[in-house]
Amino acid sequence: MTEDSFNSTDSSTDRNANTDARADGGRYLSVDEIPETAPVADRTWSERIADAVPSKRRGLKYVIAITIALLWIVPFIGLVMASIRPLSEIIGGWWHLEGMTITFENYYQAWNHSTAPMGQALRNTFIVTIPAVLVVMLLGVMAAYPFARFEFPLKRTLFFLILLVMAAPPELVAMGNYNALREFGLFDTYMGLILVHIGWGLGWVVLFLRNYLLGIPKELEEAARIDGASRYQIFRTIILPLSTPALVSVAVIQFTWVWNAFFFPLVFMRSPELYLAPQALPLMRGRVQVEWGLIAAGSIMTMAVPVILFLLLERYYKRGMVAAVAD
Amino acid sequence: MSLRDHIDALAADNEVGGVLNIDREKAVALAVFLIPGLSLFAIFSVGPIVYSAVGSFYAWDTFTMEEFVGLDNWIRSLRDPLIVHWSNIQEFRYPMGALTHNLLWVVIHVPASTFLGLGLALLFADLKGRRILRSMVFAGFTVPPIVIGLVLMFIYDPQAGIFNEVLRVLGQEQWVRNWTQSPQVAIYALIAGGIWVHTGFSMLLYSSALSAIDPSLIESAKVDGAGAWRRFWDIIWPLVKPVTAVVVIMGIIWVMRMFDIVYAAGGAAGGPNHAYSVLGIEVYRAAFRPEIDYGMAMVVALIQLFIVAPLALYIARMN
Repeated sequence: MTEDSFNSTDSSTDRNANTDARADGGRYLSVDEIPETAPVADRTWSERIADAVPSKRRGLKYVIAITIALLWIVPFIGLVMASIRPLSEIIGGWWHLEGMTITFENYYQAWNHSTAPMGQALRNTFIVTIPAVLVVMLLGVMAAYPFARFEFPLKRTLFFLILLVMAAPPELVAMGNYNALREFGLFDTYMGLILVHIGWGLGWVVLFLRNYLLGIPKELEEAARIDGASRYQIFRTIILPLSTPALVSVAVIQFTWVWNAFFFPLVFMRSPELYLAPQALPLMRGRVQVEWGLIAAGSIMTMAVPVILFLLLERYYKRGMVAAVAD
Repeated sequence: MSLRDHIDALAADNEVGGVLNIDREKAVALAVFLIPGLSLFAIFSVGPIVYSAVGSFYAWDTFTMEEFVGLDNWIRSLRDPLIVHWSNIQEFRYPMGALTHNLLWVVIHVPASTFLGLGLALLFADLKGRRILRSMVFAGFTVPPIVIGLVLMFIYDPQAGIFNEVLRVLGQEQWVRNWTQSPQVAIYALIAGGIWVHTGFSMLLYSSALSAIDPSLIESAKVDGAGAWRRFWDIIWPLVKPVTAVVVIMGIIWVMRMFDIVYAAGGAAGGPNHAYSVLGIEVYRAAFRPEIDYGMAMVVALIQLFIVAPLALYIARMN
């Protein structure tokens, strides 16, 4: 399916796109085939040319926009510069480019740091994040299905509880979970932190997926029911495949949230060898002189994973973010 | 009720107890779908919230619940100068208490990031390469907040920080300082950082609202001779107004949960002499740093919830 043929249809729903793609052979649209904005009406050639050559006013607008966007990422440019330069040059100011020495010593040292080894911390973060994301996706879509399709007792109460938890600050569940994990013997273990993240993430995931499933036409399921499919078969063969785009959004956002989380690891991970990357970062500061190089290198390594994921799955991330709060 | 349910119900009329069977089949399916997720949700989210709500009325011996004490924890916490510091508020001197600091964040950060977000969304709306421009502004929102806090420390460092270098270049030497460690100005420095990160999110929400506006509407207004200002007020604003409520409320929620950035800049004390401590920091310190005071931690966390919960329910009601 080409971009053009897609543009000619209403882009407001990727569901259509999916059913089309299924007809094409059960394949889903790849990320870059889904337009981000609503299609614009075709313009005449003269208008296009007039638009393509920016007027003075428009040119100024471009200059302002690009300047602002560049200024916006200056702090991150500084972070990158600091991570590849020795401490003496960072203190002198990373913006002085003459006599610049490029070194990866900071990365090496941060990776093998004595109190906060980033290598180990990153590995721990993966160990916690991946199961926390996968389980939330599966259990979330399972729980969202009845919320979208069936009537059952306590549905409204459960709904209200989910909203309440979404509004609650993570600090509110820390005390109860701290005591509970100690009781279960899961305190200061990967499993304990994973379970806390799953329980915390399920609320918004169920709500988000329910809203998405409400948009899937019921007729598909009813046809399958008449053919004698059970509720589980319908779930597996119709609901799961059709909710793939929403599940990708959930995966990206939940991954970023769990990976970036600082408060939960701070409370539930107490052994230095179990520290997660965000938790280890502030420990690199050093005593007398702040070790900017190490902090910068460690920060880059920690933020690289969510930022790369965001850049790869940008549309899913953005659409999920918008849908999660606006729908 | 689906068609199958109808057919089943008709068939069930013929046999005694048939209705029960259908209900059982549905009940089993519901249990299979709901119980795994909801039990984890109940144990690790709802349970702890109820625990905190109940526990806030009890005395605590470190982590063990003791006897019922009524509103003692509440009164003690609300009178604590770490939460609201009345005498310093009157003199407008920091620290003014975590709750005050949080509200200050709301008052400055939320309007600023909302306006900036709308401004950038409008600015980028019809430019080529808007996706890249937007991603540049939004990227900060995907970065771990603890990294944002450390980056802010770096920017505001007296020697290595680019912010102080800009001041030097502008000839404002008297302002050069370690911004995150100067009690009377640090909170504004951090709020500026918060705006820097959060504007991308507001912009994203506004951008998606703007892209839903039919361009021909704006074109025809242009043809009718409406200026940019008129076009904004008469066409764009009414259509993005509902999003503003969401942007503002999400901003308030984000700010009321503030923890990582403050922790990175000021540690568990929330800055020198708690100068820019926030409620989240106070919960953490009360619950997990000696002297442990679970009762107060629960009260403060509940205050956070009370401020935000009506807003979240308002968003839900709105849709």
